[in-house]
Amino acid sequence: MDNTEELLPHEQPAPPRTDLWIASVFFIFGATAAWLALAMPRYADQKGEIYTAPGLVPGFYGIVIVLLSIWLGVRAIRQGALHARAEGPSATKPHDSVDLKLAIAAGLGLLFIVGLLGRMPFWLSSAIFVAAFTSTFEWQSGQPWPLRARRIGEAMLLGLTTGVCVMLVFEKVFYVRLP
Amino acid sequence: MLDSLGQLGSAFAGFMNPHTLFNVIWATFLGIVIGALPGLTATMGVALLTTLTFSMPHNEAIMVLICIYVGAIYGGSRSAILLNIPGTPASAASTLDGYPLARKGMAGRAMGISTSGSWLGTLFGILCLALLTPVLSEFALRFQSFEFFWIAVFGVVVAGTLAGGDPLKGYLAGFFGLWIATIGQEPYYNYQRYAFGFTDLAGGIGLLPALVGAYGVAEVLQAMRGPAVKAVVNKIDSIVPRIEDVLKYWRTIFRSGAIGVWIGILPGLGEDAAAWSSYAAARRASKEKDQFGKGSIEGLMAAETGEAASVPGAIIPVLTLALPGSAPAAVLMAAMMIHGLNPGPNLMLESPQFFYQIIAMLVIADMSKLIFGFILVRPLIKILLVPRERLMPVVFVLCVVGSFAITSRVFDIYVMLVFGLIGFVMRELKFNMAPLILGLVLGDLLEKNLTRGLVLSDGSLLPFFTRPVCAVLAALTIVSIVWSIPGVSERVRSLFRRPAAAGDKH
Repeated sequence: MDNTEELLPHEQPAPPRTDLWIASVFFIFGATAAWLALAMPRYADQKGEIYTAPGLVPGFYGIVIVLLSIWLGVRAIRQGALHARAEGPSATKPHDSVDLKLAIAAGLGLLFIVGLLGRMPFWLSSAIFVAAFTSTFEWQSGQPWPLRARRIGEAMLLGLTTGVCVMLVFEKVFYVRLP
Repeated sequence: MLDSLGQLGSAFAGFMNPHTLFNVIWATFLGIVIGALPGLTATMGVALLTTLTFSMPHNEAIMVLICIYVGAIYGGSRSAILLNIPGTPASAASTLDGYPLARKGMAGRAMGISTSGSWLGTLFGILCLALLTPVLSEFALRFQSFEFFWIAVFGVVVAGTLAGGDPLKGYLAGFFGLWIATIGQEPYYNYQRYAFGFTDLAGGIGLLPALVGAYGVAEVLQAMRGPAVKAVVNKIDSIVPRIEDVLKYWRTIFRSGAIGVWIGILPGLGEDAAAWSSYAAARRASKEKDQFGKGSIEGLMAAETGEAASVPGAIIPVLTLALPGSAPAAVLMAAMMIHGLNPGPNLMLESPQFFYQIIAMLVIADMSKLIFGFILVRPLIKILLVPRERLMPVVFVLCVVGSFAITSRVFDIYVMLVFGLIGFVMRELKFNMAPLILGLVLGDLLEKNLTRGLVLSDGSLLPFFTRPVCAVLAALTIVSIVWSIPGVSERVRSLFRRPAAAGDKH
């Protein structure tokens, strides 16, 4: 295989059906953006010209997005998106464990921002988040408890170190405000 | 000429103090570590450090960011060679030959080649920056709103066409980015577009939180789904670069440097495109083609030189046109604006000494990178093996700090989160992020210049197509779009291809 022709991950094409879904989403988005832009005032009573109207430019973008999404949709249909087994070269089965890891990582991040930030000093909230994140991902079923306790201890130490260092470096050394 | 040399000397002298040199040392080290660690990128590093340097004087702050940028682009080669995993997207080309060299017991030599190629590439890029920036700035001073409008459009369209992947998705991402830039108060009547009554939305979407989200949070999510890294190389031979390698491949170095600078100048393409293009060109011209992909010294040298030369190359349009040549350059441009600098053609008029300071900063960062290239081998192997379960939450905390600190709005943290999700999902759906970011960066420039141009021309679109530079940019934009239509480029190429003569062999 010629390595210079090897595609980078984002260059590998998505399955046609996925492209059709993308086109649909962007079509709805673009149409909504254009419709909202058309509803914006034109300030004609203040002698505003059409080209200074607030909705002109975003409306134009909305229309372009609609046209591009139609192009993508038509292309996807031509590639067989509407057929029963419309799978492209990069279609892979999702791995449950990978998706779970992602969901947990995203969930913990969200909990940190929504649940912890602002309710306690930043160093403490970040320490709790780092410790919880590390403990969760280093948790292995069947691990003996002494090892598990050690991992949790290391996670707590990492969390505390992170919280204190971030606070010291950002607030005290560089005078940056923390959340 | 003498005056210029004097100003350059003065710029260097201004940085030769213990405080600045200390900043150079830790910033370059941090940049190399950021670049080396898979899951962290140069863009993320520059964005996070923009926050850290917020209270510094502007020349110190930009110096730190340039050291991070230069170090991070170089650092990616370390994990590429030792782990077969590129530390940054720009180092993907380095894995092809760097890792095979390491497997053959020549990891040290590979690192020596990457260090020398990277050092020489950045020097070549700095030379081009020093020569081209004044010329381009002078030329750009004649630009009016009509030209700047087309520069913004051209930037977004070219990023969509050339950044790799599906151009159609590139245009969608670009126009999506342009649309996002319209959220908030518009400049003429202060009407709050798409704010739906929320005061925070009326303030618009901050560029830095969006960048931190798209390149920070999205990378954290990506990193958490990947397998654990293992060092496959334990023995390191001598890392001192061999002069004969440099002398033997001097043509490759020059060619890769030129390609790197050119690709750096083109908006949105970035260091990875520079590395791949340099690699491909070296392979085409090489007498040792069969070695490429199996441990070719020339291949590794080409990739490293090209990506390093693109760093100063990407800064050239920032200084002259306020048009970032890459994602880290976009963050650097945002940082310059935060520090009160006005990137664009007027920069050379308002702050002429800054141009010389940029050259001095790049040279100092390059020399610092060279020194660290020799001494930072075994410590870096240990750093590279830090489990991502421990590293990624720390990175996420830094992303939160980075997005909050500039304007102290909690809303910006939510912007970071949303853009992290958008960035992750779009990458999964095979979108390139560069056009989206460029749209976000250039949206304001595009709209202001479009409206101003229409006011100047009393609503007429004619000047947008008849002024000479506008006509050229418009033509290039249209050609880029037409070229991306499937089949068009092949048909045009076939017109220029010679028909194969009888008896010709492949």
